[in-house]
Amino acid sequence: MRQDFIKFPLHLMVHPFDSFWDLKYEGKGKLRVTLTLLLLVVISMILKNQFAGFLVNYNDPRHLNSITQLFTVVFPFFLWCLSNWAITTLMGGEGKFKEIMMATGYALVPVVVIYTPMVIASRFMAEEETAFYYLMMSVASIWFVALLFVGIMTVHQYTVLKTVATMLLTVVVMGIVVFLGTLVLSMLQQITEFFINIYRELIFRT
Amino acid sequence: MTAKNWLLAGTVLSLLLSYAVPAPAAGAVPYESYNYNYWEEAVPAPAAYIPDRTLTGKDLGVGDFLDPGDMVVAADGRIYIVDSGNSRIVCLDSKWKVDKVITGFDNGGQAESFKNPSGLYVNAEGNLFIADTDNGRIVVLSPDGELLRMIEQPESDILPADFKFIPVKVTVDQAERVYVIAKGIFEGIMQFDESGQFIGYVGTNKVKRDYTEYIWRMFSTKAQKAQMALFVPTEFSNIDVDAKGFLYATNIDPGSKEPIKRLNPSGEDVLKRFGYFDILGDIRYRLVDGPSKFTDIKVLPNGMYSALDANQGKVFTYNDEGDLLYVYGGKGNQTGTFKIPVAVEFSGGNQLVLDRGKGNIAVFKPTRFGSSVNEAVGYHYNGEDAQAVPLWKEVLKLNANYDIAYIGIGKSLLMEKDNKEAMKYFKLGMDRDGYSVAFKRYRREVMQEHFGTFLTSVMILAALWIAYKLFGFWRRKRQTEALKQAPHNLKEGNAREAGFH
Repeated sequence: MRQDFIKFPLHLMVHPFDSFWDLKYEGKGKLRVTLTLLLLVVISMILKNQFAGFLVNYNDPRHLNSITQLFTVVFPFFLWCLSNWAITTLMGGEGKFKEIMMATGYALVPVVVIYTPMVIASRFMAEEETAFYYLMMSVASIWFVALLFVGIMTVHQYTVLKTVATMLLTVVVMGIVVFLGTLVLSMLQQITEFFINIYRELIFRT
Repeated sequence: MTAKNWLLAGTVLSLLLSYAVPAPAAGAVPYESYNYNYWEEAVPAPAAYIPDRTLTGKDLGVGDFLDPGDMVVAADGRIYIVDSGNSRIVCLDSKWKVDKVITGFDNGGQAESFKNPSGLYVNAEGNLFIADTDNGRIVVLSPDGELLRMIEQPESDILPADFKFIPVKVTVDQAERVYVIAKGIFEGIMQFDESGQFIGYVGTNKVKRDYTEYIWRMFSTKAQKAQMALFVPTEFSNIDVDAKGFLYATNIDPGSKEPIKRLNPSGEDVLKRFGYFDILGDIRYRLVDGPSKFTDIKVLPNGMYSALDANQGKVFTYNDEGDLLYVYGGKGNQTGTFKIPVAVEFSGGNQLVLDRGKGNIAVFKPTRFGSSVNEAVGYHYNGEDAQAVPLWKEVLKLNANYDIAYIGIGKSLLMEKDNKEAMKYFKLGMDRDGYSVAFKRYRREVMQEHFGTFLTSVMILAALWIAYKLFGFWRRKRQTEALKQAPHNLKEGNAREAGFH
């Protein structure tokens, strides 16, 4: 338990190459840990938007909605995993869908580790010190991207160039998926509308 | 039976209560009164100025105005109206009594008249500077109506050969320099020295490049290019001058973020824009209406200024730091709304708006809210924040959404070194800079206060840690001593267990 949830993720942060290898080939990655990490990211995002210090928090408190924030984290996460899986299966990637999910989830560790302490610290900051807050937030994001990169590379056994290419393609595919999704939704809406209209016309026939 | 009685009593009571609700105020204004909050939403606010009455030319006894173009309130309180259509200047004293009507002047024995005058400025000595538009000249008259001098077609090598001088608005600073806004001049405000010599332009509006247009031009033919609008700077629409000799100028540029400028003597824009949003009147508007178009600006005491938006018929008043204080007016036919407002003025605490379309002057008087705001802003401007506090509190009673009041109280509390309370007020007013300053001081206070406690607890923790270490050390020492004797015991034990005796 302690090994899975605390030690291994923290070790992964600083030794990504070894740890992602272990995650794939030694069975050290656990799906429940991945989902827990995702939940923790959602919670840290909510905490950041709600409780970050006044000087760094530009959110309108009246429009904060935790459910929306949950979706803004979870939806892109699964969209990324799905798109990446779609691309890499066509491009000779070795990773299974579960492994892609785990690699992405474990890459989120720096976000969990850095965000919450920084949110607490930001409540004790003056204007001049907020630069440090923004720096740490950027560090968390860059670290996440770096870990994700190593994770994808290890899981699929790709070269560096191929990893970069697939990651960029994944983003493109995400866009396509969203586009198709909206298209399908609007089509469904039109179809339901059509049948509702037919039903109404039959009802009102005399 | 009792239930019925109870019901009856309840109905009677509810009826009574419904009648006890106060009727809407009798002085309801014919326009929406609002202000923008930090989140750039228009929120309702109490009216700062309410229409008091309107005055037509007939009311004043000089006959109806015809397309009046400008109005000036001089330093001594006299009111001058430029009745453009009738080519005359109507002079009133501060009590709205007609003093005289100037229809012309005597130029070296020749009686001359005006032709569609549209601008006027009255300086401290009471001299009139009249922009005699269709005659292409500025006429300077003494208070008695005698001609002092004229500024006619300027001659300069920077002016084009076919240049025609059509002055529209005029302003004069203390050094007797005359600033003129002329039709068809895009280089800025024309500047003349005290003898009437043209010296140059001030405050040119910058041209913004529209890249889509630029790309479009690359593919268009010569004929099409000639049809296109030229990229020229926008014209200024009006000017006013403050006590320090700074010019306040408005220009009509639909896309501009800076339709109001404050120009220093070297022509740079030095308007303070510390407010939440740009100083451009309505920051939110319906697309059919379009953004605010300022046609007049009036410098008020204590660094405030009012700008008149001809598009929506509203008057926006800002303080010296660029915070929007209040908005009044609107388009319509009721008293207090306008058809074509052309000039805003300030006279004895009241604001006057000249309506060209209706040919009348609307007088607005400040409400309790408006006068409190004005007074508090005045105290703050003069650095007397402590005196502003009770007024700000009064303002907050009338309008709890008034951020500037919270910030004002916060600043005063900061002066009094009540940092924790100041933080609260700055947060309410969404002033992050002020909050940061207050917070830093408060943090230092707390640290100094608790430094002793902090140090003591650190010492105690250190002592505990040392004790723990020492204890561990002794325990290990005892264990090693025990281990030295261990082999014997082990052998004995084993022997016993094995049953060898």
